Amino acid sequence: MMAAVELRDLHKTFGAYTALERLNLEIEDGEFLVLLGPSGCGKSTTMRLIAGLEEPSSGDILIGGKRVNDTPPRDRDLAMVFQNYALYPHMTVAENIGYPLKVARVPRTARADRVRAAAAKVEMAHLLDRRPGELSGGQRQRVALARAIVRTPRLFLMDEPLSNLDAKLRTVMRAELRHLQKELATTTIYVTHDQVEAMTLADRIVILNDARIQQIGTPKEVYERPANTFVAGFIGGPPMTLIPGTVTADRFTHETGALDLPGQPDGPAIIGARPEDIRVTAPGAGDLDGTVFSSELLGDATLLTVRVGPALVAVKVGPDDGRDMDAPVGLSLDRAKLHVFDGQTGQRRD
Amino acid sequence: MRQTAATRATLIACQLLLAAFVLLPFFWMISVSLKPATEPFAIPARLWPEDPTLANYVTAFRPEFRTYFLNSVIVSGASVAITVSLGLLAAYSFTRGQLLAVTALMSAVVLAQMFPHSAIIIPIYRMMRAADLLNTYTSLIAAYVSVTLPVAIWMLRGFLMKLPVSLEEAAAIDGAGPLRIFWDVVVPLARPGVIATAVYVLIVTWQEFLFALSFTSTREMRTLPVGLNDFIGQYGIRYGELMASSVMVSVPVIAVFFVLQRYFVAGLTAGAVKG
Ligand SMILES: Nc1ncnc2c1ncn2[C@@H]1O[C@H](COP(=O)(O)OP(=O)(O)O)[C@@H](O)[C@H]1O
Ligand SMILES: [Mg+2]
Repeated sequence: MMAAVELRDLHKTFGAYTALERLNLEIEDGEFLVLLGPSGCGKSTTMRLIAGLEEPSSGDILIGGKRVNDTPPRDRDLAMVFQNYALYPHMTVAENIGYPLKVARVPRTARADRVRAAAAKVEMAHLLDRRPGELSGGQRQRVALARAIVRTPRLFLMDEPLSNLDAKLRTVMRAELRHLQKELATTTIYVTHDQVEAMTLADRIVILNDARIQQIGTPKEVYERPANTFVAGFIGGPPMTLIPGTVTADRFTHETGALDLPGQPDGPAIIGARPEDIRVTAPGAGDLDGTVFSSELLGDATLLTVRVGPALVAVKVGPDDGRDMDAPVGLSLDRAKLHVFDGQTGQRRD
Repeated sequence: MRQTAATRATLIACQLLLAAFVLLPFFWMISVSLKPATEPFAIPARLWPEDPTLANYVTAFRPEFRTYFLNSVIVSGASVAITVSLGLLAAYSFTRGQLLAVTALMSAVVLAQMFPHSAIIIPIYRMMRAADLLNTYTSLIAAYVSVTLPVAIWMLRGFLMKLPVSLEEAAAIDGAGPLRIFWDVVVPLARPGVIATAVYVLIVTWQEFLFALSFTSTREMRTLPVGLNDFIGQYGIRYGELMASSVMVSVPVIAVFFVLQRYFVAGLTAGAVKG
């Protein structure tokens, strides 16, 4: 069952407010696509439009090559995990998970087997007789997830399905979801505001901000070649350091210093460097000078935060290279991995 | 809020006073029903009979009473069932529908409940006569449904508006059609509202007098409130039996109310959606 999804010029307004601005997107059959962006950027709206819970103001939605704008949700053959769970409060966990199967007239015994299997996948098999009101937030979220994966629809829509789980369970569930999705090869659109989740799960990531697509690419692409300063700052943790300044005659001047930057036109520019692309040097020997603001051991690395003028720069160093607070250091930027953005538009320059 | 002992005492005293004011007629009704035929007007009047007797109950529980009781059960029961069913369907479309016409209709419903019964009884009577329905259960049930439905729709709409839409959306995604969503999700969650509305219709129709008196002409069709009239004769009122009948009329409604009152506390949507 082919379920490529295509959004053509998809536009959604609520009154005078534009929640989605002429979105164009093609999702391949079997792909795991992640919509990533800050709160309020239109992720849930996109999901609800694909599900048929909202009507587009203009534009088309195609599933499996067919325009579905006028198809009601129940005929779109998709399963959805709601951001607010939307569990049926009067039904037990088992009845909640089994409801889609009941509607589809799956016989009782087959239904019970599939409910148990789905509940086991989200580690809820021991709570089948509880009602949603008797569960914690994380447990409710897992029931919502089980209600989606109990089916074999042609499309999964998951709106922040792991947001309320504790860190350990989230890692387990992430792996479980990734595995399940590859096993079933069901096209999946997954919403999150957590960039780590996006990087680890996605075949491709779509980064949204202010109702617009900022960039579409594989996790590697968006990490290594962010299309603009928004993506650069949003992807990667701790975020890339962005330094605004001016290029004059192949030299980039900023508030606290200057460095050679050949091949760039004169004018305002922003340079960016990821924490792992910055080296610590003796004071005065690097491109920037500053003092250590904090030094945190992460386990396999140490995160140094260095105060450079008014800004804080994140630098990743070896686990044994921690520094004392207020120690003066120099920072040298890896020229090969430097990102350069237009000073006015914030777009990547190459 | 912190209360001092004095405010508490004052509050309790006020509540007791109010309760006494409300309950005194009931107490009087019970007291009179237990008095022998000679006593109700004895001077000085007693709060409680000297020798309580159930004699009035024995006479009051005559075959006619049983007929009236059955008629009341049929008429009220049918009115409750029809009003609540229609009301729930109407309230649901008034809650979720987005057409302009729906808003206009809802205003009409609100307006409809503002007419006093005495203002609409004559038109309804003429309609019943034209349809040859006078002195039937149907005439009373139809009248009761039409006077209780507006309030029922209004009450049920209040309950339905509090239900999270996302549950219906989830059911739609799970493959359920509109009727299935209504039956599997909306009806169970609206249960406290359905019960509260049913009790309202029961109370209104169980004690209704004007329509019942006007639309029925034979003893076989009378309902309880009209039946109480039997004790008011041309030459006197048999208070003991009248009050005994009144007690027997009140008991079922009070019992229903006590059994169902816990449902008035809505709380069934706990755990449906995130905080
Ligand atoms: N039904 C609605 N009516 C009005 N505004 C809405 C509605 N749904 C969403 N919005 C607005 O659209 C924007 C995008 O919302 P949403 O898609 O939920 O964002 P998120 O990316 O956090 O999921 C928000 O500013 C939100 O307030
Ligand atoms: Mg959202």
